[in-house]
Amino acid sequence: MTRAARCLIALALVAIVVTATSRVVGAWIRPPKLNYTIKTLANGLTVVLLEDHSTPIVHLQLWYHVGSRDERAGRTGFAHLFEHMMFQGSKNVDPEQHPSLISGVGGQSNASTTEDATVYWETVPAQYLPLVLWLEADRMASLRIDDRTFRREREVVKEERRMRVENQPYGRLSEIIYDHAFTAHPYKHPTIGSMADLEAASIDDVRDFYRTYYVPTNACVVLVGDFDTAEALAMVEQYLGRVPKPAKAVPRDIPPEPPQSREKRVTIEETWPLPAVVVAYHITYDGHPDSYPLHIASKVLSDGQSSRIYQKLVYESRIALAAFGQGNLIEDPNLFYAVAIVQPGRTPEEAERALVAEFERLKAEPISDDELLRTKNQFARDYILMRESNQGKASQLAHAVVIHKGDVTTADGEFEIFANITKDDVQRVAKTYFTPQNRIVLTVMPKGAAAPGGTVPKAAR
Amino acid sequence: MSDRPRLTACLAWLALALATAPAWAQVRDWPSERPPQPLAAREVRFPPYEVKTLSNGLRVVAVTHHEQPAVSLRLIIGAGGAHDPAHKPGLANLVALLLDQGTKTRSARQIARAIDDIGGAMGVGAGTDLTFINAVVMKDSFDLVLDLVSDVARNPAFAAEEIERQRQQVVSSLQVSYEDPDYIAGVVFDRLVYGFHPYGRPSAGTPDSIARLSRDDLIAFHGRFFAPNNAILAVVGDVTPAEAFAGVERAFGAWPRRDLELPVFEEPPPPTRRVVVIDRPGAVQTEIRVGHIGVARKHPDYMALNMAMKILGGEGANRLQRVLRSERGLTYGASADLETLKQGGDFMAETDTRSETTGESLRVVVDEYWRLRRERVNRAELEGAQNYLAGSFPLTIETPSAIALQVLNALFYGLDLQELQTFPERVRAVTPGDIQRVAEEYLKPDRLAIVLVGDADTFVSQLRGAGFDKFERVPLSELDLNAADLRRRAAAPQPPPVPANAAATRTMVRPISQTAPQSGDDRQARALIKRAIEAKGGFEKLRWIKTIRATSTTTVMGPQGPITVETITSVAYPDRFRVEGELPNGRFVQVYAGGQAWIVDPNGVRDAPSAMYNDLRAGMQRETVRLLLDAYDGTTKVRALADATSGEGTRQPSLEITLANGQVVTLRLDAESALIASLHFTAPGPAGRRSTLDESFADYRAVDGVQVAFAARATRDGAVVQERVTTNVEINATLDPALFTKPAK
Repeated sequence: MTRAARCLIALALVAIVVTATSRVVGAWIRPPKLNYTIKTLANGLTVVLLEDHSTPIVHLQLWYHVGSRDERAGRTGFAHLFEHMMFQGSKNVDPEQHPSLISGVGGQSNASTTEDATVYWETVPAQYLPLVLWLEADRMASLRIDDRTFRREREVVKEERRMRVENQPYGRLSEIIYDHAFTAHPYKHPTIGSMADLEAASIDDVRDFYRTYYVPTNACVVLVGDFDTAEALAMVEQYLGRVPKPAKAVPRDIPPEPPQSREKRVTIEETWPLPAVVVAYHITYDGHPDSYPLHIASKVLSDGQSSRIYQKLVYESRIALAAFGQGNLIEDPNLFYAVAIVQPGRTPEEAERALVAEFERLKAEPISDDELLRTKNQFARDYILMRESNQGKASQLAHAVVIHKGDVTTADGEFEIFANITKDDVQRVAKTYFTPQNRIVLTVMPKGAAAPGGTVPKAAR
Repeated sequence: MSDRPRLTACLAWLALALATAPAWAQVRDWPSERPPQPLAAREVRFPPYEVKTLSNGLRVVAVTHHEQPAVSLRLIIGAGGAHDPAHKPGLANLVALLLDQGTKTRSARQIARAIDDIGGAMGVGAGTDLTFINAVVMKDSFDLVLDLVSDVARNPAFAAEEIERQRQQVVSSLQVSYEDPDYIAGVVFDRLVYGFHPYGRPSAGTPDSIARLSRDDLIAFHGRFFAPNNAILAVVGDVTPAEAFAGVERAFGAWPRRDLELPVFEEPPPPTRRVVVIDRPGAVQTEIRVGHIGVARKHPDYMALNMAMKILGGEGANRLQRVLRSERGLTYGASADLETLKQGGDFMAETDTRSETTGESLRVVVDEYWRLRRERVNRAELEGAQNYLAGSFPLTIETPSAIALQVLNALFYGLDLQELQTFPERVRAVTPGDIQRVAEEYLKPDRLAIVLVGDADTFVSQLRGAGFDKFERVPLSELDLNAADLRRRAAAPQPPPVPANAAATRTMVRPISQTAPQSGDDRQARALIKRAIEAKGGFEKLRWIKTIRATSTTTVMGPQGPITVETITSVAYPDRFRVEGELPNGRFVQVYAGGQAWIVDPNGVRDAPSAMYNDLRAGMQRETVRLLLDAYDGTTKVRALADATSGEGTRQPSLEITLANGQVVTLRLDAESALIASLHFTAPGPAGRRSTLDESFADYRAVDGVQVAFAARATRDGAVVQERVTTNVEINATLDPALFTKPAK
């Protein structure tokens, strides 16, 4: 067990995006539908409840629809820094008391910030449902924001950045790709933000952020576990229903990314042991009709050892130590990227050629029937495995509400969409998005002899 | 607009004056209240499971769960990295990686297709005590997955081509892992704690050891340890116990039992105090590990020791997190664990922090170990840890996999299965007296193994101040886990690299950046350094120097001609110095203080730009007393060169010293006196070229028994840039710490 992770940032590149679904050819393998109840309270809060009596626990997941996407240049890292502030106490809760109240009853809690949302969750023995509702209400309504704790949390976040991003090989890879791929849209900057912006953040910025985004109209709470729906709903009303409705609407004025008109190529140096090559394309958003065949394309390329990129680059030609491709389908149009870490003695040019060839192949010919069936089966597996835990179920429901613009039915409904995808669909989206002008190619070379002993056998050919 | 700023400032002051101490955001009428009471507690029972042993000795656990139509298998074999032959670390790991890369009847590709086509997933790997094969499929593929897992466990082909492929993967992965400070801290910690006991070996091996593994080694390992009577299989999910056992019998029943003799390891070594710094120049954070040998999983005091470590650094208490993160903001995370294996274990605390706060963080961790041993824990803290462990019991049995893992664990370690249900009661039975007893008996804070992986130059000076004056320093590039001193031997054989597509077995080299000196050079170099130290005043005298304060007249070649400045130089060993003086346009100060550097001039205070910072820092390291002592102590590398000739034609013995940051400095000594005549190095110069800098010293006079050069000259690419005449030198004068403290504005 390593240190308790206080918060997790789903870095686009390294997060394994387990999204939705597919139907297996054998119609008998269908996960049961989620028998949830959904309601909007008078103050605008969306509430989803799903009973699960298999274990006497309850999982609460609270999504605020704010992420790094809502940040401006010069104030990056804000949403995530704010996530830390949410644990620093509220009117009836002392700083850092939230996690100790939860662990004191045998529960677990954590939070994470992504580009699109900030998610807080607790899992507790079922009898503590009132406690977690009360805690979330208290901090939604009365967060304590003072200078000393703000400064200290800012230091903690800087350490987090050092640990996750700056002190590890390839820690900065995601940040570099997005910085080059985007010009205007806030997806350009990393969720953890830059050191300089973190330093520049002020306590007034924090208060302003809170008033704007941490309001019931911008939130969705999902409860999955051992409770009775009617009783639980009454408790949600009792605690979270008290938080007043905000006067203003939540601003959502996010500069769109203009279409890219020409391929971008970038080569940089980092003190990493082996070269890395990234081939990325601008694609669409999660929920767009094209997004489903793109998920299938991800699996064709990288799910399992018989997938195309693994077979070609890792297994057969041994150009790459590790290689994969996937679509980052999130709320606004983002990227489909393929990454290869180049083996010693091989060149980044070879890796780039091999990766681009895989994208071209998806355009030139349809995938095989076997591949279509395999990837649909793999979706069914992901879908089903995610539903083994309360947390997995809650995520699927909350994601549907928050990211799919309120359409909670997609939590089950996407299964049908995937079942009906054809080979032609996959080829069509490949032709639409995997074009040269839509492409970014990033090569990261190890720095010469940067540190003593840090040399890498130079590329042979 | 002169009025407006004043008005705004006035309002701001007013707002501040009216605000109560914490600023509650928003809701004005939010009530003051206490947390609500819980609902009625539910009874928690460990879910049903069945265990059966087949006639061939395979133990099978079945956990049924019909909510989702999936089934997973987890097979564990009772052999792992600890069972590698002593000189072949990494064998178990390589065996595991090859299990799913082809059997006698299926190629690697066929196995991949078989599992992928049905939407399943399979994983293989080796730990210290065991090897595992996991697979998950939809329930309609239950028979297929049983056959696959059985085949993969029993009949791996170990094809030559696949061996090369996986060997390359492991070696390349290690190359990346060696840049990961978290990985390095872990393997070095294990080596310190367990010494050459099997638990101290790196389970992935080293590039050298991996290169030497043969197909015969792999076959021998598999043959020796892979047997049903050395294995446990869990079947979890949408199958009934009857279906599970019938399926396992069909697929695994014919696996023949074999007579095995599992090795019993000797006792791990007793704890010994040892501090090792692995130098990663340029690292922004230091990874810290602190701990020592502990107990095996089945130890009678396991529960009390587990609770003690939870209080130190686990959920529900976590003293380390409270001090390091919540109070001081030094880290994102700190934790401590009781790590247990089958035949031994250890206590480990870990954290990471930026380089400049390494000493402080380390001191906190060590102090907390002492405190745990010295002071009886208070009831509230123990209850916090107990509440978490006992209370979280229902969370640990939420998913069928979690349930199966607990049962597998109990079987693997030979624990009483009844204890699965009694866990909460046993947790609550621990008293502060128990914690006190086990802490006194087992914790040895005076014999901790400490590993620090980071930018040594930034923090080594802090170690002495934090109470750790004896430590070893190993550059990461020279780390050798197989050596007693963790350092690669200069004369070690360096086999050539593995080409990407070679079928033949070849061996692998780890790249090094500098040629190691010959041992003859070493002795001669050390002898020269020794002479130079003695000439300058001797070891005792030089080590006695804590501070120096010198007044000088310095002539600097400026753009419009020479400028003469009175300067005062203050040095506080080992890592602080300050130069100040009056230039025509005002007073200036330059300070380097243990990782920070700043300048003060008529424009105010500012951080030194990074080029200047690097210069200042390097300047500190080139300071002659430090240069000589570090060279003698071995913290820098020294090499004797051929004699140089001075401008007057006299012979000058020469030495090359390589500093930790890679800079190379050449020293020339006077042949007779052995005093330093000059010092040479290169540095980035204008227009991106490198310049040669020379500093020469003369007019040596004794000050308190130390020979100090009262005249010095510096040239760049042959042209004089600075001359200095010292007028006064004081050794060990008290220096005001404010001299090295950055002013506020």
